[in-house]
Amino acid sequence: MWMRENPVLNRELLTTLRSPRSFVLQFAYVAVLGILVYFYWPAGVDDESRMVGPGVAKRLYDIFFLGQFCLVALMAPTFAAGSITGEKERKTYEMLLVSPLKPHTIVIGKLLSSLSYLVILILSSLPLMILCYLLGGLLLSEIARSYVVLILAAGTFGLLSLACSSAFSRTSSALVVSYLVVLPLAAVSVALTRADDPSTRDFASVAVLPPICLMIWTVVGIVVNGRLLRPTDVGGQGGGVVDEEEEMKYAIGVVIDREAFPDRLFAPAKRTDLMPDGTNPVLDKELRSEIFSQGTLMLRVVIQVSMLLSIPLMAGLLFLRSDLAGYYVAYVVTFNLLVGPVFSAGSITQERERQTLALLLTTLLTPGRIVLAKLWAAMRVSTVLTFLLTEQILLAYIMLPELRNRFWTLGVFLLIIAVTCLTTSAAGLMCSALARRTSTALVLSYMTLLALFVLPIGVTWYLQGVSEDLHIAPGALAVLRITSPYAAAASVPMHTFQGADRWTTGNLEVVAPPSAIFPGGVDIPVWACFLVACPLIGLLFAGVACLVFRWKWWRAGDGL
Amino acid sequence: MIEVINFSKHYGDFTAVDHLSFSIGRGEIFGFIGPNGAGKSTTIRFLATLLRPTAGEGRIAGHSVTEDPMAVRRVIGFMPDDFGVYDGMKVWEFLDFFAVAYEIPRAARRRVIGEVLELLDLSHKRDDYVNGLSKGMKQRLCLAKTLVHDPPVLILDEPASGLDPRARLEMKALLVELKKMGKTILVSSHILSELADFCTSIGVIERGRLLAAGSIRDIQRQIRTHRVLKVELTEGETDRAAAILQADGSIRSVEAYGRSITAEFHGGDEDMGRLLSRLMGDGVPVRSFAEEPLSLEEVFMMITKGIVN
Repeated sequence: MWMRENPVLNRELLTTLRSPRSFVLQFAYVAVLGILVYFYWPAGVDDESRMVGPGVAKRLYDIFFLGQFCLVALMAPTFAAGSITGEKERKTYEMLLVSPLKPHTIVIGKLLSSLSYLVILILSSLPLMILCYLLGGLLLSEIARSYVVLILAAGTFGLLSLACSSAFSRTSSALVVSYLVVLPLAAVSVALTRADDPSTRDFASVAVLPPICLMIWTVVGIVVNGRLLRPTDVGGQGGGVVDEEEEMKYAIGVVIDREAFPDRLFAPAKRTDLMPDGTNPVLDKELRSEIFSQGTLMLRVVIQVSMLLSIPLMAGLLFLRSDLAGYYVAYVVTFNLLVGPVFSAGSITQERERQTLALLLTTLLTPGRIVLAKLWAAMRVSTVLTFLLTEQILLAYIMLPELRNRFWTLGVFLLIIAVTCLTTSAAGLMCSALARRTSTALVLSYMTLLALFVLPIGVTWYLQGVSEDLHIAPGALAVLRITSPYAAAASVPMHTFQGADRWTTGNLEVVAPPSAIFPGGVDIPVWACFLVACPLIGLLFAGVACLVFRWKWWRAGDGL
Repeated sequence: MIEVINFSKHYGDFTAVDHLSFSIGRGEIFGFIGPNGAGKSTTIRFLATLLRPTAGEGRIAGHSVTEDPMAVRRVIGFMPDDFGVYDGMKVWEFLDFFAVAYEIPRAARRRVIGEVLELLDLSHKRDDYVNGLSKGMKQRLCLAKTLVHDPPVLILDEPASGLDPRARLEMKALLVELKKMGKTILVSSHILSELADFCTSIGVIERGRLLAAGSIRDIQRQIRTHRVLKVELTEGETDRAAAILQADGSIRSVEAYGRSITAEFHGGDEDMGRLLSRLMGDGVPVRSFAEEPLSLEEVFMMITKGIVN
């Protein structure tokens, strides 16, 4: 009943796995991995330019394992976070609940169906991983261990995302909270399973992770089961109304006060009288009415989790090792990468989904006013939430002498974060104009941003393995990274770590990472390139959003 | 006021609307009737500037729907068949949002919102959240939204769908009220009895083609091959009365049920008077004697069966 006769699982498998898209995606995935192996593969005796070094197999294995671990951490929430909210959004949730299916059948069906494709993708890389083994320098047990970790991670991340999906009513909220829970866990797991000492790695992978995962599965499974068995009010008459004051009474931790600073920056108080003349009604609606329309839970969780994570990171990356301040900025950027699209990717698709777009389009509002209001509202919320995490950086720059003397780097860091805020919101808005559903728009925006922010780093890492053979200079490789805020933050010249006496030292030794060297020998720091390139990309995204909205929707489309 | 000229809409190989043409005069209420999937909503969305036509043109108050959508949006009030509301907004905020979107200055907005709330009998719901309203109340709210900028043309797609009988009657009364205010209204429905009472003209559409258009009386006259007489008696002399009617040359067939008789009549008004005098002269206790009008349902069924065209 759990597996073979599970109608939820059968239905999902039939609709997802039999589509040609699934096959094409799997083919593309294996092809990309194959290409990665091909360029690292030793050439024949005639071509001596490509040699197998002792680290080549290890580097390939790292790329495969880390790449696939990132894939699991990013894709498991994408597949699972929409599994129950999708039912809610399609209004089929009630039908599922009142069916004779037991809650655990639904949970298992949803979990397996959302993860089956991901597991198939992971397993399809196994033959290529065996090729890496043939290069030498790898143990079979190492490969087996990595696959055990990947499968455990897929199950755990999937189930956690499913729990988020059962708690929220919108896929976007479930997805962002899933990421906030999953990504820190992923970082800890990677750190544990990649320890330098092989015995520690094996111990962590075989003796620590499986029982912890089992514990998480049991607890989360019971919670989701209970939620499906005794659902809270599902779409009853008036059930959609959120009473903010009532909700706040039972809120744990953060309480959002719309009258107080800084809360009023992202959630201004509701109006008590008519809007003044000249107000952009869309902007007013987005900021004052829509932000809490699904309750305050998502925002509170986002603020709580991000603040909680910032404390150890602040201690480690700002106060103990202030030379790693760029890595704290990378954390802030990651937070914005997650949160930015959430507020903008639904801007246009949500108007369609709840059937208000026709009402909006038949007014006298121009597409420019609508799109700019949506962008500004989304950017304002995500920027304020992101900059809440920069207080820690300010504190470090005020308190630590080695940072205090180099205030300009603070300015660069804050600019990197601000530019990232613009780009993530604009990317979400563009995808919202292009896609037909919010969940698609959100996943599309994450993919766009990962391609822009993270992929260049992966590509550089891969190319470093063959750079000597292909005669690529580090400066030329750095050019590839100019769209990545991570690379930009890491390229800001910081002082070198000087141990315990750093408080007293007057002369700081500052090391500048390699600059980007453009054709013609022009040499510009990566962060400066980023600060020019990324706003342009953000504006390009916003422009595309505006044009697509105008031609696809505003100027009489082919149906809403 | 509204003109549709040769409008066609294709989705791939599927033809949703095929060379549709009709026009609606100022102050008319035009009932657009047809079964589900006939092309009503497609035509209405085209007129509401939301759909690009494959071919054809539409004009509202002299403005082209395709060339000048902004001017059209200024003169129309559009209520879609399926619509949502913004979460987290109160009724007055919802109306204020649309009033600002229609560029109504703040000084006039308070009065306008008060008036439409009054007209739609929503004043007591002014401070309620819109997503907590019942379906009927949401329909009213949407109609209130279409009226905030006082448009001369109203395009209403199935305004009474999904409403309970009371709300349906109230919606009908509202449309009659709007008719009195001089609005030109295009209203669609697949429930024909909703439209019969107050529409000045109708258009019947099926499978994307307009089968008949004009006033209900004209269409009835056009499709009627005979008239139907209904005679009610006070006492049970039905057989004798039926025999008298059957003997008359203007009657083709007679059907009797209890104390009522229905006859297929092929004569003029004089023949009808003659028949009544004859029944009375023969001492038949007639309680009522009248021509039975064709209901809109019958008209629709006859049209869509291919009796016309």
